[in-house]
Amino acid sequence: MPRIRTFRQELPPLALTAVLLAALVGLYSGDNFTLNILATTFLFAGLATAWNILGGFGGQFSLCHGVFFAEGAYLTANMVLGAGLSPWWSLAPAAGLAAATAVLISWPAFRLRGPFFAIATMTFSEVVLVLANYFESITGGPQGMRVPFRPGWQNMIFTGRIAYAWLMLGFLLLALIVSLVLLRSRLGYYLQAVRDNEAAAEASGIDVLRTKLMAFAISAAVTGVGGSLFVMYVRIVDPPTLLTLSDVGVRFALIALIGGVGTGYGPLFGALLVVPLEAWLRAELGAYAPGSNLVVLGAVLVLAALFFKRGLVGAFQSLPLPARWTGRLART
Amino acid sequence: MGTLLSVLLSGLLLGGLYSLVAIGLNLIFGVIRVVNFAQGEFVMLGMYATFVAYNLLHIDPYLAILLVFPLLFVFGILVQRFILQRLQNEPMMQVFATFGLLMLLQNLVLAVTGGAAYSIRTPLSSMAIAVGPVQVSVPRVIALAAVTAVALILQWGLRNTMTGKAVRAVAQDRRAARLMGIDVERTYMLTFGVGAGLAGMAGALLTPIFTLSPQIGGNFILAAFAVVVLGGLGSVPGAYIGGFLIGMTEALAGYYLDPSLKQAAWFAIFIIMLIVRPTGLFGLAGAEEVGLRVQE
Repeated sequence: MPRIRTFRQELPPLALTAVLLAALVGLYSGDNFTLNILATTFLFAGLATAWNILGGFGGQFSLCHGVFFAEGAYLTANMVLGAGLSPWWSLAPAAGLAAATAVLISWPAFRLRGPFFAIATMTFSEVVLVLANYFESITGGPQGMRVPFRPGWQNMIFTGRIAYAWLMLGFLLLALIVSLVLLRSRLGYYLQAVRDNEAAAEASGIDVLRTKLMAFAISAAVTGVGGSLFVMYVRIVDPPTLLTLSDVGVRFALIALIGGVGTGYGPLFGALLVVPLEAWLRAELGAYAPGSNLVVLGAVLVLAALFFKRGLVGAFQSLPLPARWTGRLART
Repeated sequence: MGTLLSVLLSGLLLGGLYSLVAIGLNLIFGVIRVVNFAQGEFVMLGMYATFVAYNLLHIDPYLAILLVFPLLFVFGILVQRFILQRLQNEPMMQVFATFGLLMLLQNLVLAVTGGAAYSIRTPLSSMAIAVGPVQVSVPRVIALAAVTAVALILQWGLRNTMTGKAVRAVAQDRRAARLMGIDVERTYMLTFGVGAGLAGMAGALLTPIFTLSPQIGGNFILAAFAVVVLGGLGSVPGAYIGGFLIGMTEALAGYYLDPSLKQAAWFAIFIIMLIVRPTGLFGLAGAEEVGLRVQE
């Protein structure tokens, strides 16, 4: 029987990933357009990695991660605009708030399984969108909130685009570390057992609800931090930007699914493909007819579901390469 | 008194619209166990098809049902046969595929129309009748009558015809149904086709009421999902009555609370329902638990 993989064994590929991505930033250091795409790619890679903790390792198809994202964004915006604090101080509270929300809603939500869980979380996300429009004192209502441009390290606002690329790369690495530590921990193995067969997991003495709840809270916390960074990156947010299902909540899931759901690096690969593809399609096709870039993306999704069921990572694994090369990427 | 009556009536009529969209969705959800995110887009396609029929062929929106229903029926069969059937035991991939379909259809219509808003004005569409002190819009009454007829016909068909019994058998236990000689794949195609056809019919009935836009499906689909959970998985009476509950809640909350909070009110009911009775009002006990179980 092979030894159980531990986080220590994940360190070399993780370090290699960090070096490669940093080299990518270095390569494009003079190109603001590409740096923007890279920053967005890293941010969404991190967010999809966070979603993958619950959705991939735990098999719970959450569509309400936009809520945690928005919470982080609004908390940071309020701390910066209202209290005049540095956004750096808002990261930990954002994670805490998102985790607390996840715990609160998991009481009704985890009574439901499969598609019912997906529908309940989707409805939750839509209602938070309604509430975000209504409670103007917290969210600025439909007009949104604007963070003034005051560059400075302590304000998390930078004149050069490259600083954002580094910042988002840092977030991505944080998400990857959390995800891989969890994957190789007792909780991670519990979680996969619950995903594969809930009844058998429960019979083996695993506290199913507690396992799902912990995963949900961790996944939400990382997503909340992503929301905080997002608001400092774009500096103007309104409820649709933060809570539209197809732009946020579902997007995290789709990126993870295209990359390879339930694998450590799948969400990163998904983001490396989808985000630049989207940017390219918007630039190339968006001018001809509105929405034509999204037509292509929708078709890509349907085709990916049909022909790349295990995502890019799965497709890579099925290549005729030595198993010790392909296995390392995706073994769970 | 007049106000309350008016609010209740508008809730009833709104509920009729929600039931209309939810019945097809619940049929697909209950039998095939697919969360069809693109159902709202099927309604939207039905609306645009009705609009085209009205403008090119000068067919009345209500007569266009005879054209739109078969059109979407065939479309639904194709989607089921070539996309969803291939993902039968992979519920996540099905969600993924129907969401891709949603984006594809919505933006295809956006790209073709350029986002222009269309509407149909027939003599009927702006007509209203007086019920006591309240004016009631005729197209909404027609929609209410239509959904009532559809619910009755569908329920009768599911109970009394051989095909209907096969659909119910497949919904209850796919493997046992196959052992009894039922062609499961054919039943799925039929069910999805009828579900999509009903969405098309809903679209035709909604065309005289709403201005067309590529995103209009989103206005109904969430309410329809709430109706499905409230009414119960796969239950026709559940979808019918659940629609009115959601519509009434929305109308009452919109008038007495705040119009912008009406959706939050039905969500509260939805959450209470999930906690108290997750199977929905008319659902089979345990249906919410086995939703994703691989049956083969």
